[in-house]
Amino acid sequence: MTMRRKIWRLTIGLVLLLLLLTFTPFVIPMGAHHPHLFGIPYTMWMGFAEALILLALTYLGTKVHPGRDE
Amino acid sequence: MLNLLLIIGTLYVLALVYLTWIARDNDRSSANYLMAGSNVGSFLGLFTFAATLFSTFTILGMPDFFRVHGVGAWIFIAVSDMFMVFGILMVGYYVRRKIKESNTSYYGMAGFMQHCYRSRTAGIVVFLGAFLFLIPYVAIQIKGVVLFLDQAFPNKLPIWLWASLMLIIMVIYSELGGLKAIMYSDVLQGILLLLVIWVIGIVCLNRLGGVSQMFEQVHRVDESLLSVPGPKGLFDFQFLLGSLIGIVMIPFTQPQVSTRLVIMKSHHALYRTAVALGFFAILVILPTLFIGMYGAVHYENDSTADFLGKTLITDQLPLIGVLVLLGLIAAAMSTADSQIFGLGAEIRSLLKGEDHHALRSTRGAILIFAVICLVFSLFSPDELVLLARLSFTGTALLAPMIFLGIFSKDAARWSWMPWLTMLAILLFILSSFNIIPNKLGQIRTDLILLISLGGIAVIAGYGSGSRRVSGKSQGANF
Repeated sequence: MTMRRKIWRLTIGLVLLLLLLTFTPFVIPMGAHHPHLFGIPYTMWMGFAEALILLALTYLGTKVHPGRDE
Repeated sequence: MLNLLLIIGTLYVLALVYLTWIARDNDRSSANYLMAGSNVGSFLGLFTFAATLFSTFTILGMPDFFRVHGVGAWIFIAVSDMFMVFGILMVGYYVRRKIKESNTSYYGMAGFMQHCYRSRTAGIVVFLGAFLFLIPYVAIQIKGVVLFLDQAFPNKLPIWLWASLMLIIMVIYSELGGLKAIMYSDVLQGILLLLVIWVIGIVCLNRLGGVSQMFEQVHRVDESLLSVPGPKGLFDFQFLLGSLIGIVMIPFTQPQVSTRLVIMKSHHALYRTAVALGFFAILVILPTLFIGMYGAVHYENDSTADFLGKTLITDQLPLIGVLVLLGLIAAAMSTADSQIFGLGAEIRSLLKGEDHHALRSTRGAILIFAVICLVFSLFSPDELVLLARLSFTGTALLAPMIFLGIFSKDAARWSWMPWLTMLAILLFILSSFNIIPNKLGQIRTDLILLISLGGIAVIAGYGSGSRRVSGKSQGANF
């Protein structure tokens, strides 16, 4: 397996991991809004960070996607 | 303010006329008229994807969702959109490959599924699913804007006339310029949407004293707005999961988006568009948080209409108020025109015979869909976000069948899958109207249907030795 394909699979794995985490108290603790970050409640800043990480993974995915050279 | 709207609105319509004029083409084939020659680059791709995806639902629905249900709305829409964008990258490639390998002319997912399953039923189920769930969505967007215009200019024009004017403009440029005209206008409408939402967002944020102060004030009003499930308990696990599945499936199940996936000139252009779209999604949704939180602080107990009227119009300078109205009209039109046109393309994909005649029937169908949307908009309820979610979830029920068709060598072996999908759609509609329970035990019926259909498709696909569509490169362009 080429390095690019390994990274592509790793990218998919990380996205799936984030998908699982999204529905756990790690991202959406029910009824809790602490700890705050710069005054921003937990679910909001964690959700924002998750969105940015997903965007970064999508960008990485475009670089290593199996169909990139077609 | 009406005069200002008329002046700026006229300029806007003139810009649409100009874009329609430059989009006109002597080549009146279906491939050119419905699929824009399948040669769309990433810049145009970004704006046409964005303007089609982000609609009235974004400007009107999301601020109100943040105001009423709190920060969980970010997970509901923004995080789901990011997964959707990755889905475009991950699955879009295989969809395009499968279409290319099939050596058929792609005009819509209905026709393509008819080809994959070698069954007319498959095509009809895809078309019916899209029709049933998109018409109410188009209608509610038009209604949302029209009610807003009526509130801004009471007794100036009857509601049906506002709605008719919007639809007439949309139909004219769609019929004259085809998908190219729609995409060119999407660029204008996408920029306008982004501009307007940020102007209002910044105004609201400044009035609240910045991000930190904003959340502090919201905390004083209602602490439960700062966490899930929110004050009304809406954002529970099942709602968020069902919404995420529905949103992630949009590019493959809703014709206005799947068409855009297919017509990109190369895989590479699609990838670039996917990343840019993710960035655009964050940019568009973030200011709706500011607007919603402003509403939570200042208009906590107001009705949705009062909150939106005050926040977007009354509290703003007249020029900004007019831009908001124009942005709203643009947002509604850019999504509705693509949806109506997408339904037309689905009809074309099911038609056989001479292209000229099929295209004429398609244009007739587009006109009929526009009239149906107009009638529906006059009688539909006005719960924008929840109807949008109904649309996402309803069309998502098509996804297992579509994926089985795309990822298997010979989907015709599963001729029962379209029938099963049709049954699931029927059950979903019945549960939405509370004719059958919308929960089985503790689990939502829509979630059960989505997961059951998905599970059956996976078992059928893997159990019968289906393979992922792969193979050596055959060239980049469609």
